[in-house]
Amino acid sequence: MASDRPVHEARNRLEGFNADRERVLGEVERRVVSRLVARAAAGGDDSLEYVLNDVCVNELKRLGAAHEKTGRWRDLAGRLGSMSSAELEEELRRIVGHFGRDIVGNFDPRVYRFATRVMTPGLGFLMSPLSSLKGGVAGLLRELDSRVQVEGPLEVLRGIAELGTLVVTPTHSSNMDSVVIGLALERAGLPPVTYGAGKNLFTNPFISFFMHNLGAYRVDRRLRFELYKEILKEYSTVLLESGYHSLFFPGGTRCRSNMVERHLKLGLLGTTVTAYANNVRAGQPQRRIYIVPATINYRLVLEAETLIADYLAETGQRRYIITDDEFSRLGRIFEFVRKILVHEGGVVVRFGRPLDPFGNDVDDDGESRDRSGRRIDPRTYLLGGDGEVTADDQRDAEYTRLLGRRLVEVYPRETVFHATHLVARVLYDAVCADAGTRDVYKLLRLPPGKEIPITAVIQGVGALRARIAGDRDAGRLHQRVAAAGDTAVVDDAVRALGSYHSTPVVERRGDALRIGDLELVYYYQNRTAHLPPERKPQPTTTSATARPPGSAAAAAAAAPKEAKA
Amino acid sequence: MSRADVVGIVGAGTFGTSLAIALARAGREVVIYTKTASVAEAIRTTRRCPRLPGPELPASVAVVTDARALAAAARYVVFAVSSTDAPARLAELGGVIDGSHLVVHAIGALVGDDERVSVLIERATPALRVGVVAGPARPRDLAGGEFGSMVVASRFDEVVRETRRLLNVPPVLRVYGSHDVVGVELASALAGAYTVALGLADGISIGPGPRAVLITRAVAEASRLGEASGGQSKTFAGLAGLGNVLVRSGEEGDPDYELGRALARGEAIGPERFSEGARAALAGVRLARRKDVRMPLLAGLAAVLSGKMSIRDAARLAADTVAAEE
Repeated sequence: MASDRPVHEARNRLEGFNADRERVLGEVERRVVSRLVARAAAGGDDSLEYVLNDVCVNELKRLGAAHEKTGRWRDLAGRLGSMSSAELEEELRRIVGHFGRDIVGNFDPRVYRFATRVMTPGLGFLMSPLSSLKGGVAGLLRELDSRVQVEGPLEVLRGIAELGTLVVTPTHSSNMDSVVIGLALERAGLPPVTYGAGKNLFTNPFISFFMHNLGAYRVDRRLRFELYKEILKEYSTVLLESGYHSLFFPGGTRCRSNMVERHLKLGLLGTTVTAYANNVRAGQPQRRIYIVPATINYRLVLEAETLIADYLAETGQRRYIITDDEFSRLGRIFEFVRKILVHEGGVVVRFGRPLDPFGNDVDDDGESRDRSGRRIDPRTYLLGGDGEVTADDQRDAEYTRLLGRRLVEVYPRETVFHATHLVARVLYDAVCADAGTRDVYKLLRLPPGKEIPITAVIQGVGALRARIAGDRDAGRLHQRVAAAGDTAVVDDAVRALGSYHSTPVVERRGDALRIGDLELVYYYQNRTAHLPPERKPQPTTTSATARPPGSAAAAAAAAPKEAKA
Repeated sequence: MSRADVVGIVGAGTFGTSLAIALARAGREVVIYTKTASVAEAIRTTRRCPRLPGPELPASVAVVTDARALAAAARYVVFAVSSTDAPARLAELGGVIDGSHLVVHAIGALVGDDERVSVLIERATPALRVGVVAGPARPRDLAGGEFGSMVVASRFDEVVRETRRLLNVPPVLRVYGSHDVVGVELASALAGAYTVALGLADGISIGPGPRAVLITRAVAEASRLGEASGGQSKTFAGLAGLGNVLVRSGEEGDPDYELGRALARGEAIGPERFSEGARAALAGVRLARRKDVRMPLLAGLAAVLSGKMSIRDAARLAADTVAAEE
């Protein structure tokens, strides 16, 4: 059972991190410098002068002419041409050390205990102030347990956490994700993880204290020079080799559209192969790396409004880093936590079965299995013709691509649908059927305030539920959704969608549901976007046959058939 | 000799055997694996493969009947069995190789549920470093010492590199490299289908003008399917596609070409007599439907093969559709 307390808890290796920090940093510095020096010796565009110049140019561009720190870079850029190779190497070492320190995290076991035993009740207090006063700390913990729901093969994951290094790879919808996944791991008896968090998050007063001390390291996405990426990847590699359980969001940034991620950023994910290869080379092939896919499924998303607006903005205007969203306003977080997480299971974290760095399945004993289920030795993927471990970046990048492909297959299957997703999908389908297009830009230009008969929505939800229940790859219904009747699901979704966002997304108007914010209907329905529309929009000449416009029921009636096809 | 320098070949068919001959003559170490004891015995005693009468296999070519022996002797494996045997032979191979093996296949067909063979290899064996070889290197040319070329496609540079290192034995065989696995596999499969179409066209004596149109339009529609499936459009105009079509159409004894000629003679041909190319035509049409790609030539051929249309009607329809499109 998902809510059972773990039989045993995996060991928290991060407890030793602070004592180990200088070694990790030194190792990163040593490796990056020696690699770049070797590359420079090979000639071509990889000279140290070129590498350092790239840093200078990018930093000068980023900081702008007026910034006080530009002097250092301008000075270095001016001296580069006349520096000896020893001086260049020394400068490189200094820069690598500097950015390494900028990245590295802290882990404070006291804060960790505070965070998981005290901060969580703290969050519980936000969630439900009245009962917290009555029930005391124990009651709060129990309550919290019921809010962040954790599912998946937890016993297996606890077992393999002792055999190797876990790399948790969740979908990414919200800045709340790192807090939520932290709670989920704690609840599941899984060890805490270290992870890269956007440096902008560290400016949030509410969260930065915990981030700093819970093993988060800082990723400054404004730094665009290659050397920074190299340092970041090496840091991750050393952490994985050293056995520090980690977390990456393979989607990169928060998913703007709310669609289950299909395009992954493979950079950090690729450090799993590198770390494993290093372990094998060091004569430690038993030190495995396990990739653990996970989905984080919110009933409502804190930053939905900002994210979808950004997604819908014309290409080129999208912002890579958003700093002024709902997450930056403390009041909004409080409101979110009160209104969303007050619902039991308002967030579901679902873990999937582990994979190895080559995209192979991993069995309950932590051993890799090929696609036909044979037990295989993952070490063999790194071997050359005569059984020696070979270095081949292109090969490893391909392995990571295969791993990414597996993750993209797993995510939709492990997605958990809330009532909000289902009802948004039915409403959106009805709007599309009526307008004769699924093009969101066209739909957004239609007059607002569309009303859909509630009976059609209830019927549509029934059909959609049947479709999801009948298709193992489509995702899963939230336990409460699966247990409730269609009408209750619709009521529940309307309550949620009508309560939190600035304007009610949907409102009850007599016998109909009035759409107040189509952008957000689109956003929430996007979680189901991997389920193809019931019927392709047909050319008008052939399919103007009996389908009354706007009838969601008619569209939904085709659902069970589609599901079998 | 290092295990890395040995070429393992699965299947003692015409391609596998002639490749072994060409490689061994150039000094490569080759091990052929065949399940059929009588074939292995014949090769050992007579140095000739019953399936490729004529040329002798150099003494250096070893023959084994135990898949384990092949996996142990060679890290680089060419999978060259008939498409109908492929699933069963892959299941067997999967039990003996490991993640260190490089596997390239030479099967110009889609298998099972219209799947590419490289996908089947990934699914049926532990091998991930896989690739495909294809192109106008006919068995008789390989064994006869004529010039021939093939393309190897793999996502892994290492597979391309090793294939070129081990199989490139100019002038008999030149190997070019590509990353377009999807394109090469589809091109190589569809080349068989268009070879059937050309046999049919030649059988009804269509003349050089329409014949040229047929070939160029075949390249165009196959390129569309390749692109829609994630391949590169230019691949079909290369060795695996056009190169294959040009060398095989007009070739007496080519099963696909002969099937086309038999159709032209009005012979009733049931699915049991279908060649690889005929099956590829049907598979290609199914794939095109799924990808929403129009392929009038292939659709016409498929309609004739399944007896839904006469040759004349199919030819007229294909010509009209092709003309209407441009």
